[in-house]
Amino acid sequence: MMETIIMELVVNAGSARSTAIEAIRAAKSGDFTNAEAMLEEADRTLLKSHEVQTELIQKELNGEKVEVGLLMVHAQDHLMNAMTVMDLAREIIDILRERN
Amino acid sequence: MKNIVLLCAQGMSTSLLVNKMKEAAAKAGYECQVTAYPIATAKEVGNTADIILLGPQVRFSKAKVEGECPGIPVACIDMQAYGTMNGTKVIDQVKKVLGE
Repeated sequence: MMETIIMELVVNAGSARSTAIEAIRAAKSGDFTNAEAMLEEADRTLLKSHEVQTELIQKELNGEKVEVGLLMVHAQDHLMNAMTVMDLAREIIDILRERN
Repeated sequence: MKNIVLLCAQGMSTSLLVNKMKEAAAKAGYECQVTAYPIATAKEVGNTADIILLGPQVRFSKAKVEGECPGIPVACIDMQAYGTMNGTKVIDQVKKVLGE
């Protein structure tokens, strides 16, 4: 079911993004232990999206056409966005730690 | 008639959940109106709601939405229910938050 695959991508990528931002907030308040724990949690959640994504890509490489509608594009945006926010969250938390 | 407002980044992925919630509510005989909006419109659409539900991707904005819609209960949609688009589970969550 394509709808379920899309939601799987959105929910995990979206949640990882939220957790990454919460990690930055924890670091802002000086709680770096919690910030690190949240980053790890975000990583684990993002990995779930990646697994779905890998499966989709492999399908396509194997000649199984994956239907791409607006919702799928939207899900891809979520994934991309989560990855960017994660990368930046790591950098921002590092900077905050150095300045602490 | 309960006014349930769903908020996510663009109101797109939650739109899928809206239909599932409507189906579940109709089945359970629960009178409600369910609508999805982008989180940027929280102030305009949230203040007439009985409850505001947030998608996992905007979970980190809970405090902001609570500030923009004082007195309106704001809850984060259960991640698993969101991912599997389990309308019944989300309606149950609404009832629980509203103490019904």
